[in-house]
Amino acid sequence: MKMEEMSLSGLDTSKLEAIAQEIYADLVEDSCLGFCFEVHRAVKCGYFFLDDTDPDSMKDFEIVDQPGLDIFGQVFNQWKSKECVCPNCSRSIAASRFAPHLEKCLGMGRNSSRIANRRIANSNNMNKSESDQEDNDDINDNDWSYGSEKKAKKRKSDKLWYLPFQNPNSPRRSKSLKHKNGFSVCTSASNTLPLLFSSSGELSNSDPFKYNNSTGISYETLGPEELRSLLTTQCGVISEHTKKMCTRSLRCPQHTDEQRRTVRIYFLGPSAVLPEVESSLDNDSFDMTDSQALISRLQWDGSSDLSPSDSGSSKTSENQGWGLGTNSSESRKTKKKKSHLSLVGTASGLGSNKKKKPKPPAPPTPSIYDDIN
Amino acid sequence: MCKDYVYDKDIEQIAKEEQGEALKLQASTSTEVSHQQCSMPGLGEKYPTWETTKPELELLGHNPRRRRITSSFTIGLRGLINLGNTCFMNCIVQALTHTPILRDFFLSDRHRCEMPSPELCLVCEMSSLFRELYSGNPSPHVPYKLLHLVWIHARHLAGYRQQDAHEFLIAALDVLHRHCKGDDAGKAANNPNHCNCIIDQIFTGGMQSDVTCQACHGVSTTIDPCWDISLDLPGSCTSFWPMSPGRESSVNGESHIPGITTLTDCLRRFTRPEHLGSSAKIKCGSCQSYQESTKQLTMNKLPVVACFHFKRFEHSAKQRRKITTYISFPLELDMTPFMASSKESRMNGQLQLPTNSGNDENKYSLFAVVNHQGTLESGHYTSFIRHHKDQWFKCDDAVITKASIKDVLDSEGYLLFYHKQVLEHESEKVKEMNTQAY
Repeated sequence: MKMEEMSLSGLDTSKLEAIAQEIYADLVEDSCLGFCFEVHRAVKCGYFFLDDTDPDSMKDFEIVDQPGLDIFGQVFNQWKSKECVCPNCSRSIAASRFAPHLEKCLGMGRNSSRIANRRIANSNNMNKSESDQEDNDDINDNDWSYGSEKKAKKRKSDKLWYLPFQNPNSPRRSKSLKHKNGFSVCTSASNTLPLLFSSSGELSNSDPFKYNNSTGISYETLGPEELRSLLTTQCGVISEHTKKMCTRSLRCPQHTDEQRRTVRIYFLGPSAVLPEVESSLDNDSFDMTDSQALISRLQWDGSSDLSPSDSGSSKTSENQGWGLGTNSSESRKTKKKKSHLSLVGTASGLGSNKKKKPKPPAPPTPSIYDDIN
Repeated sequence: MCKDYVYDKDIEQIAKEEQGEALKLQASTSTEVSHQQCSMPGLGEKYPTWETTKPELELLGHNPRRRRITSSFTIGLRGLINLGNTCFMNCIVQALTHTPILRDFFLSDRHRCEMPSPELCLVCEMSSLFRELYSGNPSPHVPYKLLHLVWIHARHLAGYRQQDAHEFLIAALDVLHRHCKGDDAGKAANNPNHCNCIIDQIFTGGMQSDVTCQACHGVSTTIDPCWDISLDLPGSCTSFWPMSPGRESSVNGESHIPGITTLTDCLRRFTRPEHLGSSAKIKCGSCQSYQESTKQLTMNKLPVVACFHFKRFEHSAKQRRKITTYISFPLELDMTPFMASSKESRMNGQLQLPTNSGNDENKYSLFAVVNHQGTLESGHYTSFIRHHKDQWFKCDDAVITKASIKDVLDSEGYLLFYHKQVLEHESEKVKEMNTQAY
């Protein structure tokens, strides 16, 4: 129809409607055209059906809503074995223990400054390596990966590997240090004394790798005064393998008191006695540790327990465990070290019952008394 | 000839290039947009829709498995392993990774690292966190890198102990904000009012403080940037709770039971005029004398994401305790009565607004709730987050379970996260950005 040739008023309603319909159809067509072009293009170029979801994927990611399961259908609390790599020291750490590890690793823990000071003080005295620092404490420390108990034996022989990764902040070590704080300072007299010492009684003397040169003292080089002062603070029992004196504490479980007495008598004469009290020359020691040490010394013939000092320090740093996932409660159980009253010959082995796996007693070391006497 | 439409690749390519050239010509006439500052396409770039190329078509044909986000999918949800008292961190991470606008920013890879080393950039780590949490992997993620970075950059938080989630949120936002600008040590004079990093665009609001002199009624106004609103609760020994809860009829559709305090009550209290007392006389600027005054806090500029913090942990001289009073909070919140612009109508007693006032700009929706169970010394944080629009999930470290809206609204509430419903065009901001070319 040519609009200019007609006037609208002359048209009847049906024709008006037809015009309106046509206009309407044009409008609809215009608006659909854009969409049609899109679909046409998609089909022509082949991507129209691309994003259809396949039914398998649908099932994989379906949200699960059942009691006892999370939304992925997994059972709760199965994530104990997750691990991660510490960005600072590059070691593999159990994920749920990462935070306490990182704290010590970065030197921010409660004991870190003490350990650091001790190290600085001692590194001035000694150039020897600290290879025996990495002791069995770490094996049971949850900072390490969970395979640790099984790998414990392997770790013992890999001690030297730990040299570059000194972990002076391990709480186990710090406990053992606190307990043996007596003689770390008085070693300034001798330059052959070791820096730090392993604490665990599980190390048996029979394994030559454990007691390398740095653990013992060559008594030949020491003068009588030095010997005397040494013997007031250290075990002093001479190892048969290395011919050196044991630098552990006076209550070192590796050796018996009989042995210690014998050594003192040998060096200092028949009147020598075993020192009663641990001297605490180290300024870094906790007061608590000293008194605990006293208390435990009084019990030394029965059940010598390192537990008071252990648990004391552990409580201060770890008492905020709140259950879910933070296995702080597991990790700081008491360490019981049994002292040996047995006579000559059964020196070692039984040592500390670590929480997870009490080791079978190591074969008894051949007695050193044979040499001395 | 079939008269069908034909699509020729070569001609299309030519057309695209020519169009690009034309746009660049247009762009050069406007001010230079610093591409480092804003990660939006400038006028010179055109982002076309993605179309598959032939090799891609074949590849997609051979691999028919598709992952599509529908409302029944777990994609976007993932547990977080507790690294040792880090539940507070896990809850904040869940809340942040489910903040819609932040999620959109990171998942579209908008972050351009400004830090000297991406290893130390917390924003890069956030970006990687988003990727991990939206990967569809059902096994919980171990956020050890995040912990390490936070400890390095926010030393006051470092240490193995239980911590406050709110404190962590503020510290994390601060580090993210600094790293967005490549400013590691916080030394650059960052004026938060002019910062356009994503954190400020989303979280920073402006709180207005008006001090009115009682003598001459002159008002001194300051506007401070804020990332959250900390609300006192009834029952705390420092709080002054003048009005009985629930006196006004509910503005925000909260469950209105007399005796139950609502979030709106807390906000009303927060924004009431407070008489400063004769011991705190302030020198009035207009009448030049020391006079008593009243102070009132209101919101000047609302952030896109509003975080409300209930001050449940009381550390007063008398006692340290946790206030466990239940506060009812709504799913939808209208902040209009608490704006600076509404002060006049409030003073006239017109607090109540019709719920369907045409103004939607100040309406918010709840999307995350962080809860604390336990005591001041020792407790556990869990969070509820909203996903797929209307579904809620409870995040308890590594375990994510479905939750109902009722569970969420009945929970005690410690940190509440609300998201604006309507995002306005920040045309003013864009202009500012363009003029800061340096």
